[in-house]
Amino acid sequence: MSRFEDDLRTALRRKEPPPGFAERALARAAVERETLLERLLGLFRFPAVRWVCAAALLLMLLLGVRYQQARRARQEGEEARAKVLYALQVTGSKLQLVQQKLRQLEAERETQDSAEEDPATSGRKIL
Amino acid sequence: MRRVLFVMALVAFAAHAQDIKFPASFDKLAAKAEEVVDVTVDPAMLQIAGKFLAAQEEKEPKAAKAKDVVSGLKGIYVKSLKFAKEGEYSRADVDEIRSQLSGPGWARLVTVRDKTDDVGVYLKKEGEKVVGMAVVAAEPKELTVVNIVGPIDLEHLVALGGQFGVPNLPNLPAGQKPPAQTEKK
Amino acid sequence: MKELARELSVPLPAEESAGWNDFASLVREHQAMVFSIGYHFLHDVSLAEELAQEVFLQLHRNLKSLKSPSHVKHWLRRVAGHRSIDFSRHRGSMPSVALDDVPEPAAAVVDGDPMLAGKLRKLVASLPPKARMVVILRYQEDLELEEIAAALGMPLGTVKSQLQRALATLREKAARSIGEVYP
Repeated sequence: MSRFEDDLRTALRRKEPPPGFAERALARAAVERETLLERLLGLFRFPAVRWVCAAALLLMLLLGVRYQQARRARQEGEEARAKVLYALQVTGSKLQLVQQKLRQLEAERETQDSAEEDPATSGRKIL
Repeated sequence: MRRVLFVMALVAFAAHAQDIKFPASFDKLAAKAEEVVDVTVDPAMLQIAGKFLAAQEEKEPKAAKAKDVVSGLKGIYVKSLKFAKEGEYSRADVDEIRSQLSGPGWARLVTVRDKTDDVGVYLKKEGEKVVGMAVVAAEPKELTVVNIVGPIDLEHLVALGGQFGVPNLPNLPAGQKPPAQTEKK
Repeated sequence: MKELARELSVPLPAEESAGWNDFASLVREHQAMVFSIGYHFLHDVSLAEELAQEVFLQLHRNLKSLKSPSHVKHWLRRVAGHRSIDFSRHRGSMPSVALDDVPEPAAAVVDGDPMLAGKLRKLVASLPPKARMVVILRYQEDLELEEIAAALGMPLGTVKSQLQRALATLREKAARSIGEVYP
């Protein structure tokens, strides 16, 4: 070993840390009773983790919004369909009433024609 | 006891508003009614309904036929009042509405009046083209007004005959040929 | 290298292992080593203490995964070495010290010229980070080159060339700045 290396070895000899170092290290370790949640939260000190979580949250939010929009659109569609069908049903029932009346009238006319009754006494009119 | 079955008031586009204006007296009648049905299907809702009717074409073929009826329509308006007893409304109440259907553009398709009921079907026309339909049905305990705005293809309407209660219509306006086949319920 | 591998993998007999991983004892046993690696690298007492505290905190978290006393020692050297290099990257590679003396931490009485020792420490602190750490692990910890390569995750050849260049630089700087000529 050369003199130079001896001098280096001397210069780089281990030194004791400042007084109380061990107590401070132990105190820090004692305080650090991390729960799993705290460890996970600790990951947030990395920008990449924050960005990934923010992106994931944004994606979930967007998907949630899209799902709600789709659900709402489906509900609106069902409601619109039901309304239209109901309206047609009501329309149809009144048109059926007309048809029924017409048939009754036709039947009566046939009866009248065969019995030679005065149509004026039938009390029913078609306009 | 008055029960409101449906009250759906949607904002209709001004350009496609219903053809019939209900007088103030109609609201007073509604207050007396046991049951009120008020259905408004505006153009936006018709568009949505059209898509949904088309979507279920395979499952419900009659829904596809209904889609044919509503496609091109601008609005469907239904007001129906059911009363607990007879005599709750007068002919004058009905005539206020009917008078609008004798104005320009309207043609009476058929009216049947007897001791109990007075039902009329009217078509709104622009030239030979049908652009609307109205049905006014005055029954002893029920008064119903239906207004369909938009070009109605009567053949499609007839094709729905028997479905949703739409009957086979016997009398068509001049120039309209009767359909080759009609479906019955 | 084989001896190193054997040393790390041999489990301790039961009577020796009891208590060896007691955190408090480990801190007291290795605080000088860890602190000195940090101090000689960063040439700053408070930074060295901060670094050493972090290394021991990390030890506390990873204690269960360490298998033996020598595993702990190697682990501490490795972590202290890497942490020191990271510290220097974040805070600038050169220590923020002038050539004037800075307060030296308390040390045991040493042989030789303390003035020379102080100046040599400053020269070491002026080396590039990796070369600096190679020199510290070689002359503070008396590690063989293979052990240094394992601790720093560097190829053996790189460690050799880094050490040679570092020693040449230190000799030259020692001759120029402190008038000490080493043959």
